[in-house]
Amino acid sequence: MKFAKWVAAACVCMPALCHAVAVSDVAPDFTLKSVDGKNTRLKEFRGQVVLINFWASWCGPCRQEMPLLERIDERYKGAGFTVLGVNVEGKPGPAREVASKAGVSFPVLVDENQKVSELYDLESMPSSVVVDRDGVVRYVHKGYKPGDEAKYLEVVKKLIGK
Amino acid sequence: MQRIALLFGALLLTSVAAHGDGANDALADDAVAAAAPVNREPTDAPAQSADSVSLGGQMEDIKHSLVELKRDLAVLEEDLLFPASSQVAVFLSMDVGEFFALDSVTLKLNGKDVTHYLYTQKQADALFRGGVQRLYVGNVKQGQNQLTAFFTGRGPEGRDYKRATTVTFEKSFEPSYVELKISDSTAKYQPEFVATVSP
Repeated sequence: MKFAKWVAAACVCMPALCHAVAVSDVAPDFTLKSVDGKNTRLKEFRGQVVLINFWASWCGPCRQEMPLLERIDERYKGAGFTVLGVNVEGKPGPAREVASKAGVSFPVLVDENQKVSELYDLESMPSSVVVDRDGVVRYVHKGYKPGDEAKYLEVVKKLIGK
Repeated sequence: MQRIALLFGALLLTSVAAHGDGANDALADDAVAAAAPVNREPTDAPAQSADSVSLGGQMEDIKHSLVELKRDLAVLEEDLLFPASSQVAVFLSMDVGEFFALDSVTLKLNGKDVTHYLYTQKQADALFRGGVQRLYVGNVKQGQNQLTAFFTGRGPEGRDYKRATTVTFEKSFEPSYVELKISDSTAKYQPEFVATVSP
């Protein structure tokens, strides 16, 4: 009976534990502390299009991408769009330094125990996930090379217009 | 064993229900298709309206059954994962909050970290306005257990503030409920952190 209980419990919990984030999934919710000390929760951005960008200070493409994300954020924030930067290093120091050098104004959050990175099952750095106004994942992008921002723009513009 | 069979049955039904809208749409489409020839008969207007009323009633019944099924499934799931004989639930409430701005709560049960929760401004506001949050539900052994809650935030004059409160409780065969309450002590100009257990 005890074993059967565990099997049943595993059946209930497994999909939530093992499923990597994919397009059309509901974006897993999280609350993280930003580099300026403010707690930020993804769910509170419902109604806005959100680009979640996972990055690290030691990652060159991440630093290259950051000013471009800032430009997209600046341009579309009035239309219900925001970028959430999630630093995966777990310490606010390096994140704050890089964000300040890049002149970033969007919230930069610190994933202290890498729980959110695990939740989104990151395979590459940087990784970006675009979430629509209903909290559904609409686009997942792994890595960054110059020109990728055009794809972000295309997706963001399409989702903002919906 | 019967419960588990029930749970699986309910899970199966819920997965069908997850496509409920689609199923309902299909049902509605069928119904419309079935009703279509009737629509073309101008003399059958009262019959058509009676049909749509009964169809609407059926839809309502299905939706009602679905809600009941989901509720039963949630109860069953909780019974299975957290049986009354080992269940402990921890709730958090806040009164006034003038001397304390809540940032986070960490719970330790019998010396082991069980949850850590960060509060956004909106969540803290909801607590100030009388909301009660279920912080944790889990299982403990019967007998004596110890729960410690660590609160961090901004205390009087905006200073960083960290306090802990510990409660030892006797777990019986009934579910145990622990209420953590943050309130203002106007006499001391300090926040107070109290833990109460029932039953």
